[in-house]
Parts: sequence; C-alpha cells; structure tokens
Amino acid sequence: MRSISLIFRSVVKPFIFISALSLGVQGFAQEVPALQAEEAATADAAPAEAAAAPSKGDPAAGAAIYKQKCTSCHAIDRAVVGPALKGMSERHDEQWLIKWIRNSQALVASGDPAAVKVFEEYNKVVMTPFPELTDDDIVNIIAYVQTEGDKPAAPAGGAAAGAEGAVSGDSGEVSNFMLGGLILVVLITLLVILVLNRVIKTLDRVILQKKGIAVEEDGVVSTKETAYEKIRRLSKNKKLVFFTILLVVILLGSWGWKAMWNTGVHQGYQPEQPIKYSHQLHAGTLKIDCQYCHTGAYKSKNATIPSLNVCMNCHNYVQATDKYNGEISPEIMKIYKALDYNPDTKEYGPNQKPIQWVRIHNLPDFAYFNHSQHVSVAGIECQQCHGPIQTMEEVYQYSPLTMKWCINCHREHDVNTEGNGYYDKVVEVHDLLKQGKKVTPAVLGGLECGKCHY
Amino acid sequence: MKSNKKYWKGLEELKSSPEFVEKNKNEFAEQIPLEDVLSEGGLNTVAPRRDFLKALGFGLGAVSLAACQTAPIHKSIPYLVKPEDVTPGVANYYVSSYNGQSILVKTREGRPIKIEPNEKSLFGNTGTDAATQAAILDLYDVSKLKGPKLDGADTSWDKIDSFVKGELNKLQASGKKIRIVSSSISSPSAKSVIAEFITQYPNTVHVQVDAVSYSGILQANANSFGKAVIPSYRFDRADVIVSISADFLGTWISGEEFTKQYVGNRNSASLKKGKMSRHIQFETGMSLTGTNADSRIPVKPSEEGPAIIALYNEVTGGQLPGAQALASNTAANTAIKLAAKELLQARGRALVVSGSNDVSIQTVVNAINSALGSYGTTIDLDNQINNYAGNDAAFSSFVKEMNNGEVGAVFFMGSNPAYDYSDPKLFTDALAKVPLRVSFSDREDETASLCTVLAPTSCFLESWGDESAVEGYFTIVQPTINPVFNTRQAEQSLLAWSENPQKNYYQYVKSYWEKNILPGAGKSWKDLLQAGFVYTGAKPAGSYAFAGDLTGVAQTIVSQSKALAKDIEVHLYQNGAMKDGRYANNAFLQELPDAVSKVTWDNYAAVAPKFAEEQGWSEFDLVEIKGENGYTIVLPLLLQPGQARGTVSIAVGYGRTKAGQIGKVGENAYPLAKVANGSVQFHTTAAISKTGGKYELAQTQTHHSYEGRNIVRETTFADYKKDPHAGTTAHGAAHHNYDLWPEHKKIGHNWVMAIDLNACTGCGSCIVACNVENNIPVVGRDEVRNRRDMHWIRIDRYYSFNDGGKSVTKEDEISELENMDNISVVHQPMLCQHCDHAPCETVCPVIATMHSSDGLNHMAYNRCVGTRYCANNCPYKVRRFNWFNYWNDSRFDNYLNNEFTQLLLNPDVTTRSRGVMEKCSMCIQRIQGGRLAAKLEKRALVDGEIQMACQQACSANAIIFGDMNDPESAVSKALRNERTYYVLEEINTMPGIGYQTKVRNIVEA
Repeated sequence: MRSISLIFRSVVKPFIFISALSLGVQGFAQEVPALQAEEAATADAAPAEAAAAPSKGDPAAGAAIYKQKCTSCHAIDRAVVGPALKGMSERHDEQWLIKWIRNSQALVASGDPAAVKVFEEYNKVVMTPFPELTDDDIVNIIAYVQTEGDKPAAPAGGAAAGAEGAVSGDSGEVSNFMLGGLILVVLITLLVILVLNRVIKTLDRVILQKKGIAVEEDGVVSTKETAYEKIRRLSKNKKLVFFTILLVVILLGSWGWKAMWNTGVHQGYQPEQPIKYSHQLHAGTLKIDCQYCHTGAYKSKNATIPSLNVCMNCHNYVQATDKYNGEISPEIMKIYKALDYNPDTKEYGPNQKPIQWVRIHNLPDFAYFNHSQHVSVAGIECQQCHGPIQTMEEVYQYSPLTMKWCINCHREHDVNTEGNGYYDKVVEVHDLLKQGKKVTPAVLGGLECGKCHY
Repeated sequence: MKSNKKYWKGLEELKSSPEFVEKNKNEFAEQIPLEDVLSEGGLNTVAPRRDFLKALGFGLGAVSLAACQTAPIHKSIPYLVKPEDVTPGVANYYVSSYNGQSILVKTREGRPIKIEPNEKSLFGNTGTDAATQAAILDLYDVSKLKGPKLDGADTSWDKIDSFVKGELNKLQASGKKIRIVSSSISSPSAKSVIAEFITQYPNTVHVQVDAVSYSGILQANANSFGKAVIPSYRFDRADVIVSISADFLGTWISGEEFTKQYVGNRNSASLKKGKMSRHIQFETGMSLTGTNADSRIPVKPSEEGPAIIALYNEVTGGQLPGAQALASNTAANTAIKLAAKELLQARGRALVVSGSNDVSIQTVVNAINSALGSYGTTIDLDNQINNYAGNDAAFSSFVKEMNNGEVGAVFFMGSNPAYDYSDPKLFTDALAKVPLRVSFSDREDETASLCTVLAPTSCFLESWGDESAVEGYFTIVQPTINPVFNTRQAEQSLLAWSENPQKNYYQYVKSYWEKNILPGAGKSWKDLLQAGFVYTGAKPAGSYAFAGDLTGVAQTIVSQSKALAKDIEVHLYQNGAMKDGRYANNAFLQELPDAVSKVTWDNYAAVAPKFAEEQGWSEFDLVEIKGENGYTIVLPLLLQPGQARGTVSIAVGYGRTKAGQIGKVGENAYPLAKVANGSVQFHTTAAISKTGGKYELAQTQTHHSYEGRNIVRETTFADYKKDPHAGTTAHGAAHHNYDLWPEHKKIGHNWVMAIDLNACTGCGSCIVACNVENNIPVVGRDEVRNRRDMHWIRIDRYYSFNDGGKSVTKEDEISELENMDNISVVHQPMLCQHCDHAPCETVCPVIATMHSSDGLNHMAYNRCVGTRYCANNCPYKVRRFNWFNYWNDSRFDNYLNNEFTQLLLNPDVTTRSRGVMEKCSMCIQRIQGGRLAAKLEKRALVDGEIQMACQQACSANAIIFGDMNDPESAVSKALRNERTYYVLEEINTMPGIGYQTKVRNIVEA
C-alpha cells in the first residue's frame, strides 16, 4: 500500500508543478487574444434607412450638405452655437427656412418677427449666409434634419461605431469566458488532487498504525529546524530544484518573448497634448463629424490635424464661459494665444505661434499608409482603427499598428467594389464577384510587400 | 536573321585586358575583406566563446532596454491658418517655365520637389532635358548667397538700394557709362524693365553675351538675309539632314525641341509609314548627335571649312576655292559627294546645319540651304528662336570701354565672363577699372567675387517672370515657394534702382502681359496661370534666297583653316550635362555620365586610340595642354573611338573655382578658345605634352558586363522595309519554354514597358528624372570609380564597327582593323526588367524581393539584410547596393547632407539606409497614386494616366509604360510591333520590358 501512495505522490508532485506552470503561461497568453480582438466589423452601410421620408426632399443628399456646412454650429437635438434643429420644420414653414438659411441677416433686416426672435434669442450671433445653396439643397437639408430628428436617440458614437464596439466586445467576452473556465477546471483538478493526496496519506497511516508498525513520520518537519536548514534541505531535493529552475526559465523566457514582440509597439500610447482637447465632447456629445476637422482623411494620405482657423469657426463664439465663472475656458484661450487673437476686439495679432501637438500614431517611415484609400475608397469607419474615439477624453493609440494587424484586416475584409468604376474594369475581380467569391485586398495583391513598402 | 555583330562598351572590353576580365568576374568591384577580419581578430582570439557570450549578453540587454522604451515624441504641427488649396499629403502642381520650356512644378506641403513637362503646352508634349530635371536642386543649394552683400559684408536690401541709387545718380551726373551685361534674355517683361532702366539712366547700354555664343549664325543671317536672328529649324520636315559638327540633339541651340522633331521622323509611327529620315554627321569629337547619325564621318576642325565649301560646290556646281584642302581625308571627300547627291534628291526636304560660330562658315551654310530650297520649309527665319542673342563683338567693345576707364557701373545679370570669357585676364583687369560693380548672381561666383555689390537674385522657382523661346510663344514663370534665402530677383532690384513707379515685379509682369500679350491671345491672366503659356500663332514662313558673292567668304575660311591645320587641333564642346558650366554645382548633373564617354565628375582630353598610340600616350595619362595664347591646363587623356585623328576634344563648363562646394571639378577650357573673325571660336590648336602622372576618370561604361551576350538588336532601314522583323530575333517563339514556377496570375493590371531603341538618343534626362523622383543618392567620384553608382536607370552605349558595310563579328578580326574611326553607336536604356521569372527573387534568403500580381518585382528595403545574392544573380546588372548612408554621412557631402537639400526628397519614397539593395521600382509610388486617384473618383484607370518619371522626362517618347492587360493601351500596341524583342529572352527570364530594334538608314554606296 505504501508503494501505491509513493507512486501516486511521485506522479502528483510534477503534475502540480506543471499545472502551476501552465497557469502562469496562460496568464501571459491571456493578453494575446485581446490584441486580436479586431473582429470583422462588417459595418452595415445603410442602418435601416427610415422608410419613405415624409418630406419631398432627399435626406441622403441633404446629409452631405448638412455635414459639410451645418455641423460646425448646429446639432440635431441640442443647441450648440445655433439652435437645435430637431423640429425646425414644425416651428417654421419651408419658405421661411429657405430664406433664413440662405441669408438670415436679410430676413432679420426685413423685420420678420420670427427671424428677429431667433436672432435675439441666440445672442445676436450672425449665421453664415449660404447664397450658393439652391432651394432644392435647402429642402434636402430640411428633409435630412427631419429624418434624423424622427429617429430615436442613437447610442453615443453613432450606429456603426456602436456595432463595431459590440462585436469586438463580444469576441473578447467569449474568449475570456473560455479562458476563465479553463483556469477554473485546472484549479478544481488541483484541489481534488491535493485532497485525494491527503486522504491517501491519512489512510496509509491508519493502515500502518493498525498493523502496529511504528512509522517515522515521512515529510514531517521537526519543529526545531531553522529556515536556513529548511532551504538547505529543499535544495538537496533535485526534482524541486529542477522544476524551480525550469519555472524561472519559462517565466523569464515568456516575458522576454512578449517584450521583444512588443518592441516598438505602442498600443495604448497616450501622450499629454498641449491643449486638453476632448474628442468625447466634440465627437461624442456634440457629434461633430470627423470630416469636419480631419479634412485630409477623405482626400489625402494624411488625415491632418485641423489648422486653428477650423477651431475658430466655432470658438469665435463658443468660449465655455458658463463653466468657468464667466471667464473664457483656459483651453480655448490657448487657441486665442496661438493665433494672437483678442476675444474682446476680435482681432488677430502678428505674434502667431503654431500649436505643437504630439503625434500619437507613429507609423514607421518605410510603411506607406493612405487615409483616403481606406476612408473614401474602402468606406471604413474611423473607429475601426482608432477605436471608440467618441468616448476618449484623451486620445490614445487604440490599435497596435503592427504589420500583422494590417495584414489580418486585408485578409478578412471584402473590398468595397460596389459602384466603383475602377473595379468594374478589373475583369478578374468581376468574375470572382460573379462566382460569389470573397474579394479581399489580399486577393487583389494587397499583401504584397511593394504595396505598402516603397 | 540573327545579327552577330560584335558590340562592345569600351576599349578595355574590346581588348579584354586581363585587369578588365579580372574585375568583371565579380559583381562588385571590391571584395569585403572578410578573410582579414577573420584571420586578425574574430575567430582566432583566445576565447571566442567568451566573446560570444559577451556579445550575447549585451545583445539581450540592448533588446530589453529597447523594449522598455516609451514611444518617441514626434511633434505634429498643423498650419495656423491653412491655405485653402494646400492639403498635407497631396501634391500641388504649378505651371512655370525654364529655359523657355513650359513646365509643371510639383510641390508637397509648399516645397517644390520635382519638375515635370507641361504636357498641354505647345511644344512640350513630353520631355525635358537633364538640366531642367536637375534644376530643382539649385533651389536648395547651400552654396548660394544667403543675402545681399556690400563690399564683402552682409547688409540689408534697404542699404543696398540707397547705396546703388546714390552711385547711379552720381554717375549719371558725371556722364560715365553704365552697362548691363547679361546672358541672352528672352523675357519680354525683363527686357521692358531694362528698357525703363535705360530711360531713367540714359548712359546705360544692355550688352548680351553667352558663354557659348551663336553670334556667328546671327551675323551670317544678318549679312545674308538682313535678319540677325536664329531661325527655327524644322528637323521634322527634313528627310535628309547633314550636320557639320552641330550637336543639335544635345547642346546646339535647342536640343530638346530638335530631338522631338528629329525622332518624329524615325520612331515606330514613322517606320510604320515606311518613312525614315537620313542623317549624315561630319564632326571631330564623338557627340550625342554623332552617335545617332546614320553615317558619321570624323573630320578635323581644319577640315570643316573645306568640307562645307566642297559641299557647296557639289550642291550648286559652284567653283569656290578651298575645297581641295579636304582631299587628304578621302572618307570625308567621298561622303561629301554622296551627301550632296542625297541632299539634292531631297530638295525642299533637306537641311544642312553647322555648329560653327564663324560668320564665314555660317554664310556658306546659308548659301547651301538656300540652294536646297530649305528656307520656308526646313528653316523658318520669320519665327525665330529667342534663346540666344549674345553678341561677341559688342562684348569685346565693352571690354575695351572698361579698359579705357569709360565705364562707371556694370551690372552682371546671369553672365559670368570672369569664368567663361576667352581672355579672363584681360576681362578682370578691365573690370577693376570700373568703380561700381554689381552682380545679380545667386552665388559668389568668379565674376561676383570681383564685384562690390552683391544683390543675389532668386531662383526661378521663387520668382515671377516670363520667357519667349520662340517668336509668338510666351511662357509664364511663377513662384512656387517664398525665397529660401534672403534674395530678391534681379528685375525687382532694377525696378527699385530705376525709381520705377511700379515697385513690385509681380504687378509689373501682370500689367505687362495684360497690356501687351494677353489681349492679342484673347486670354485672361487667370487662364495664363492655369495653362502656363500663350501662343499668338506662327507667322507664315517666307522663303528667302541667298544672294551675294562668296569668294571673299571662302578666302576667309581657307585662311582660317590653314591656321588650324597644325599637329594637334583642339575642339572645344559642351557636354549634355554640364552645358556651359552654369550648372556646375549641381551634383545630379555632375554624376550624370556623359552620353558618349560615360565619364562622370570630370572633363578630359579625348583623343583617338590610334592617334594616342602614335603619340605614345595611353589612357588616363595626364597631359599638359598649352593653348595658342599660352594658357595651360592639365587634363587626363581619354581614348575615344570615333574621334578624328590629330585632334583633341575638351568639354567646357568645368573648372569652376567659385561655383560652390561641389563645382570644383575638372579644368576650365574656355580660355583655350580664341576670338577670330569677330566671334569666339571653339576651334583652335594646342601643344600637348605628357606630364608623367596618371588620373583615373570615374567612368561607368564597363561597370556592368554582359559577358559578350548580344543584348542590342540592330538592322538597316532597307532590311526593315523588306521584313519588319529584320534583325529582331524572336528567340522565345522558337523554343518551348518550361517553367519551374507556377505562372504569375496578373489580376487586374500587368505593368510593362516598351523602349524604342530607334527613338532613344541617349541624352540621359531620364536618369536625372529618376534620381529626383526616387531619392537616389549621389555617391561622388570615388564611389563611381569603385563601381558603386546608384542610378536605377542607366544608358548603355555600345560601339560596333562599320567597315565599309561589312559587319565585324569575331574578336580576331578586330585587331586586323586599320582604325577605330569608323564606328557606330547604339544607346540602350537599361533598368530593372521586372522579369516574371526573376533570377533575383529565387536567391533572396529573406524573401525581400518578390513578384507582385501586377507584374512588378518588388523590393522590400526593410526586409533586406544585404547578402547581395540578388545582384549577383541578376543577368541585367540593374541592382544597386547601398554601401553607405549616403544621405547622412559627411564623406558623401554631395548634396543631401544638409537641412536644405533634404527638402528635395520625395516624401512618398523611402530613403534607403546602408546595407540595403535597391533597384528600379517602376515608380511604384506613381502606380499606387494613379490607381488611388481612379478609385477615389470611382472610375476606370485611363491609359497613359500613370507615367514613369523616366518616361515623362523623355523628349523622344522612347519609353512607353502601361497595362498589358488592356489590349488597347499604348504599351500593348507598342509591344505588338514587329521590332519588339526582349533582352536575354533566351534565358527565359520573361522580362516585363520590351525593346524595339534599332534601325539605321544606311545607304549602300
């Protein structure tokens, strides 16, 4: 019987070690799937277009103009510089709105009571006249505002971003759950083994005692033994020493492995910026379109950080005085200082100094990346790479920006060929699409070195 | 028919000297001293194991440290107020003009980075010359003056203005002469500014002088037809062209325009119509034009005059004396007779040009052309070329005036006589007698350093202005950047000093155009800034008949010819890169190999191999050349096949002492020139003696050996007419090709290129365009000697023998040949062939080079570890290895090692670092950019929309790039041509670049 217990013990001891090791390794491994959580967020391009808009205008056409011309001062459901636009077609008739949008000052000057009222109500801020808009354009805008206003309040961040977040969240939870379960099973197994071990030991002893054999307690430490002697004794246990060293090597190795792979990867990098600009406020709460400031993203390789004249479109008036006891917000003051702008006289001085932002996304020079290719041609949402930017008080690097990350995306996503005459002429693509096959950038040679490195 | 003509790149290859064979065994000239390293330290040390562990430990530590780094802080600074038309990352193009050619300037984030031809302009369907491509570097040249100077001290523009105005008023009162000395000015606005300056200071005279003068032609036309103009030559209308030492495809008058016209009669389209011009060249040194000629006959400078008289006599049946001097040169004598016959057959479609600056010679040439009915057809005197108006006689009398102390003030505007005048001592001594000496030069050059007031003018990329290269054709110069240094354009300075009511030159140009040019063309200023040019239309070309007595003229020619007939005759010329020396500080041009000799970074004395043998000279011997006036220079000898025996050719434009940090190259040959018959003549005599030293020229001609494989194809026009496939061996078709690799699937596009050897003249502007576009480093003279030039595209120049129509096929026959005078040349642009079965791809151990699905051979620099196996395995020898960090290494202080010139770098192309292989990428940034543009506009890609940098720079349209998957594309059509062949197709590399056989219009005598 004794031999049984010895055999059992000799098996159990290494098993415990190995389990402990595997736990440790899993602990590291756990972080890896998080990196890979970029799941294919096939953003629904058309999020359930509202059935037949009641207005005669074309809301889709209006949306484009709205984003381009209106978002700097207006939001649908809250007052920004100008009033909230929701319900404007109930408040005013269409002809009045056309006149007002085209040249509000003319309407005010003509003494129109409604116009004067709005003008007074909003601190006599002059709305930019838009003589270039046709009646149809304005009707389209009105239609767009109406459809948008009729929608129930969307979750922060817009539909697409929300969907994306949900998907990646899901995939994260699944893998975490499975991992947790695994760890639990291992822990339970360990516990069972330990308990069984104890039981066997006790049984062993009972049997031996019953047989009347005096047993010198095996493994029981004499109380007089000092800590030093204990270590000396343990150090003579070759198995223990071996496994300890193995553990240390594996731990160091896996740490080193991880560290080396992450050299130059700055995911989560969140430098301090010269102005505490909040994307949460501007993109999240105020829902200013990304395009409004980052104009380059649609036509250039650089998304471009907006120049200060873009800021001044709104911050001429928006000074957040209500939050600073009537003083102009110190962050907005930084814009004024850079432009040498005097908010009282509304004049620009000569001592202008540009703002030195700190770059967050640093792609190496040998990798060519073009925003317009991804934003305008592929139609990818900004959030896919930049994360939930509309919730970021301070922006951080959301994606790892590693080549693996690029390539994964190029392997998984379909090329946005629809309605693009360029791809119509690429015959092979046409054939593949006809066969119902997936056309990813990889199929079109998007994984070849020279497509990004030249 | 397979041509087995023997082609060779240089004498060393022809003779297969042991050193040459040894050197060419290896891909790289120098071996890495690996054995030394290993035998000295390395493995033989006491405890290599410990060293290994040390290195390992250090490496691990370094990696751990690197892993701990935080992200680097990169600042991103947006505009304060963004200009509406500038988007960072998107290039803007502005029309401008350079040397009379309408150009487009590509700017990125406000800095000009590339010059491209304005395709929509009148003459500029494609192409610019090498100097135009390289001119962008001059904008950032740190050797330029950083601001105005007065008596050697930095000063402000205000102080300069008040000082100069004060002096001018004093001079005006005292009645002393004021002179503005400029190179030829074609700008109507600038001429008007000078005219108004003269109104303010009536003692002023404007003297125009050119370093390389055409006053002989101007004077001859004045004498013959009463019009002192340079006519428009129409090589496109000429079926028979006889050129007597005129390098009209390169440096003579307007090489780019003439190339376009000339090639139009020789390219694929013309051959399809069964038409090809015939070109006969008589010349001393081998020029670019000579290499392209169908027949080329070497003549000495002293034989040129007699040759022209003989031609006159043959054409008109006249009896001018002097033709008998040519009798000793039997080849030339018979050739002249044949040429006259051909010219007469092509009456009205014939053209005779001469590169001489002698009035007498040009007068006889006028008489010949008149007899051939060229006026009104191939020569247009009514729409003259305005680029050269320099008057040698006027300049000589100006120097006399200075010497007499009559001149009170002189302004130098784009001219540098202290360097390029034939008697610099006379000039500098005379200049010292002028109290107010003002220079507008952008740098403190040879003349400017003798001046008291330095008012540096801005680069043309920083200036407003206009040009009129040809009568009725006006181009606008508009700035693309604020002045980089504290400079002010010369016209603006003149406006300020002449108290002109209009102080702003921009306003001046604008109002000048709105008053004088735009109304006639029915265009607005805005139209002009978009189109870049206005053409008021050509006047009808009148026909002119030569009338006059040539006897006296012939006498002058005979006496001048006699004076030249010495033991050693000297022929001074310009080469295509350096031209007259104005671009000496441009590293791109210094490293551009000469079109014929393939020498970089130096000038040299070119002599015929047989002549050198007779004299006991050998290649690279340093010789002392003593001119007629006692001026002496020491130059290395270069054995140039095709050079007339008894002559030596020396390029001017070198030996600048004050051009800047890299301009001090070679020796100045201008003082060898002499003033005779009222003009500066580049034909002279000299005594030559060996100094005993040797100097190795940095020559690229035999850097890349093909081990005797036949890679050029050639045929004659007669054979071509019988069979368009003549000379083009379709080797691939005869074989069944077995592929080891699966076929590359060309999804979407298949990028290929077609190069017409019959269109390529070998000028080399594609090389410079490629350098600028692709951030290719300039490596300098020593590295070129080490065979480490970095050019992605090169022009291989092959010689072959013409021995009385027989082609020489075997090496042993070569030694039996009497001379090397009678050779012909083929130019072949060579660049990465983007093979479908690329030998380089299979040997790369790290898969840094691989094939793409659109037919390109990609090179991932950041993956390359520098084994250089690929270069060893490339049969085309087109891969280049970065031996150093050329852009950040003080040993290569050529152009990139400062913050100014680095602004020139194309931000879309990576700068390669040391230890990395590179090669032609087929301008992949342009392909990707063009595709993206189409995708953004949601339309199909248009053929011709994407152009390679080399293609764009080619005036001859020899390079066509496009998509082979589109059967209607220009390149598909070009590659379907019967003359198409692929280089080394027999080794089944399946190149992506097809060449078209060279055709020579040889008439069987």
